[in-house]
Amino acid sequence: MTPEYYLVLAAVLFTIGAVGVLIRRNAIVVFMCVELMLNAANLTLVTFARINGSLDGQIMAFFVMVVAAAEVVVGLAIIMSIFRSRRSASVDDANLLKY
Amino acid sequence: MNDIQLPPIDYAALLPMLIVFGLACVGILAEAFVPRKHRFAVQATLTLAALIAGLVTVIINRDLEVTTIGGAVTIDGAGLFLQGIILVLGIVAFGLIAERRLERGGAFVANAAHAADSDGDKKQLNEAGATEIFPLTLFAIAGMMLFCVSGDLLTMFVALEVFSLPLYLMCGLARRRRLLSQESALKYFLLGAFASAFFLYGVALIYGYAGSVQLVAIKQSVLDSDKSGVLLAAGLALLAIGLLFKAAAVPFHVWTPDVYQGAPTPITALMAACVKAAAFGGLLRVFNVAFETTSWDWRPVITAVAMATMIVGSILAVTQTDIKRLLAYSSIANAGYLLVGVVSLGGAVGSSMFYLVAYGFSVLAAFGMVTLVRDADGEATHLSRWAGLGKGSPLFSAMFTIIMLGFAGIPLTSGFSSKFALFSSAWDANQSALVIVGVLSSVVLAFPYLKVVVLLWLNPPGDETPTVSVPGYLTRAVVGVGVLATIVLGVAPSWLLDMVNSAGTFLAK
Amino acid sequence: MSLTPYVPLVVLFGLATVFAVFSVTIGPYIGPRRINKAKLEAYECGIEPTPTPPGGSRFPVKFYLTAMLFIIFDIEIVFLYPWAVAFDSLGMFGFVEMLLFIVTVFVAYTYVWRRGGLDWD
Repeated sequence: MTPEYYLVLAAVLFTIGAVGVLIRRNAIVVFMCVELMLNAANLTLVTFARINGSLDGQIMAFFVMVVAAAEVVVGLAIIMSIFRSRRSASVDDANLLKY
Repeated sequence: MNDIQLPPIDYAALLPMLIVFGLACVGILAEAFVPRKHRFAVQATLTLAALIAGLVTVIINRDLEVTTIGGAVTIDGAGLFLQGIILVLGIVAFGLIAERRLERGGAFVANAAHAADSDGDKKQLNEAGATEIFPLTLFAIAGMMLFCVSGDLLTMFVALEVFSLPLYLMCGLARRRRLLSQESALKYFLLGAFASAFFLYGVALIYGYAGSVQLVAIKQSVLDSDKSGVLLAAGLALLAIGLLFKAAAVPFHVWTPDVYQGAPTPITALMAACVKAAAFGGLLRVFNVAFETTSWDWRPVITAVAMATMIVGSILAVTQTDIKRLLAYSSIANAGYLLVGVVSLGGAVGSSMFYLVAYGFSVLAAFGMVTLVRDADGEATHLSRWAGLGKGSPLFSAMFTIIMLGFAGIPLTSGFSSKFALFSSAWDANQSALVIVGVLSSVVLAFPYLKVVVLLWLNPPGDETPTVSVPGYLTRAVVGVGVLATIVLGVAPSWLLDMVNSAGTFLAK
Repeated sequence: MSLTPYVPLVVLFGLATVFAVFSVTIGPYIGPRRINKAKLEAYECGIEPTPTPPGGSRFPVKFYLTAMLFIIFDIEIVFLYPWAVAFDSLGMFGFVEMLLFIVTVFVAYTYVWRRGGLDWD
């Protein structure tokens, strides 16, 4: 099995995530798409670690996982507080700020 | 089993960051154990002590040039100077964050978990604000310090998140206008996370190209590698998106006005001054150390981004009716000027850092004064409400006028000397097109500033002109320092220019 | 191939089995017996075990809080694995560094605990 397939898969996942962020309306779903992008980056890191024959990429994936978890916690806290105020998690409803 | 070679760790070089991170942890413990009524005093003292101790150790380390923890951190002249800028501006911003005289309990909400306009939310309107803001500030500042001295892209990513995550939270903590504040936190968070995903994917692709994420190793492999340049170009593009987002460059600027308007004003000030310094510190380091040799590839793109940022920022600033949004668009335009420094590479590092200092002090004073204009509902930020303030509060209006003239780049202010230094070093680096666009856009940008000045002095006061509150010591000190720096750096900039030029190199080995 | 390194593992399995069998068999004899309604209902992690209305229903925010705290403390463990694998060659330095890491996690834990993040009601 050639590792290139994993790179392609990661690129596809990253694109799906990026498109999801742009077109989905629910803040939670948008956020899950961001997580998908982070995990696509992780897959790329691990695959390149295999191709390059070094461990750095795997260690980086660890760091990314921890950072992503911290981001989840902060993000869910913010989304929850706005949901409790508005009874809605749609990013279209959050539209008070404009000129 | 083989013995693992442990990387040498130079604790002295890391001391400034260790102090700030360590005292932030102590701050969290204080939050857990100190009784509520003493918390504010303890936290404020701790924060100020951490920032000052950090600054002192940075000054002691000033001649240090060392790469430590296996290349993860590179302490060099420019890095230390950027750390110093962030700490000094952080100390000044601390004055705004700790201010509790303007509003009962400070600018921050006591319990951010209450739904806006719920009973609990109304009840807490007069309660003392959350003191978690202080450890969060320390974490953010320590993250920014690490961001500026990261020797590899992974450390840079972690530092980016360490300073971003507290900021996302702090944006949602405004005492008044809870919904706006929460909304700004949501927007900043979602877009920030989106941008950092791009950054990370860029790091992954560059790792694939270079086999390492260390900036120096990337530079080396650009020279040696026989791999396809597509990986490198794609990686660099994605990396740049992440960095330009934090720097608020067009087309990654859309969050800036909303977040600047919705966030509590002291936090907006912190973002405008310190985050800008950190983001440009990171940009300068990445482009100067790792990608200097590939400048043919990225220069045209970053040049276009810089031009778009200057033009869009200054033109949209003209149409703004809210002072915080106006300052946000002006900060976008200023990001454009700083990008001129990035494009000009080596020779412009010193003048970019000078620009960061000058702009940081002015913008802190500007936001400090925005917190002073209040009515019963809190800050009155709509520009129409500012009409005729010069009649009732001449001192305030005079100071705001100085800051506005400084932003507009009138001679004898820091705005002039910093733009002059930046543009002349860009001219020397043969970026004449950028300099011309920069000068033209700063002429356009002068218009909204002068409009505010006219509004303050010449327009008749409206029916419901808000009052200018009497500032507490802290805000008074912040505004005073900001105005003073705007004048001093305009009249006598040479000492600081000498300092940045002697400090302004990145260690690239 | 010597099997010596696996002896502690076998002993551990043995001890675990003994403990499990002991706990299960001794319970009915020495534990108190109090019958109540909750014990007879289906276990649903503390939610009222009623059929949820179509379209889903809300449940208390406390669950989210607990879940979030779990995520953040759980993922920190990821750094312990590489350290445990390389424990011998990292030696004292690795041990001290890991101790410092755990102290910082513990700082966050203390904050959560003192602020009532772990209290259910």
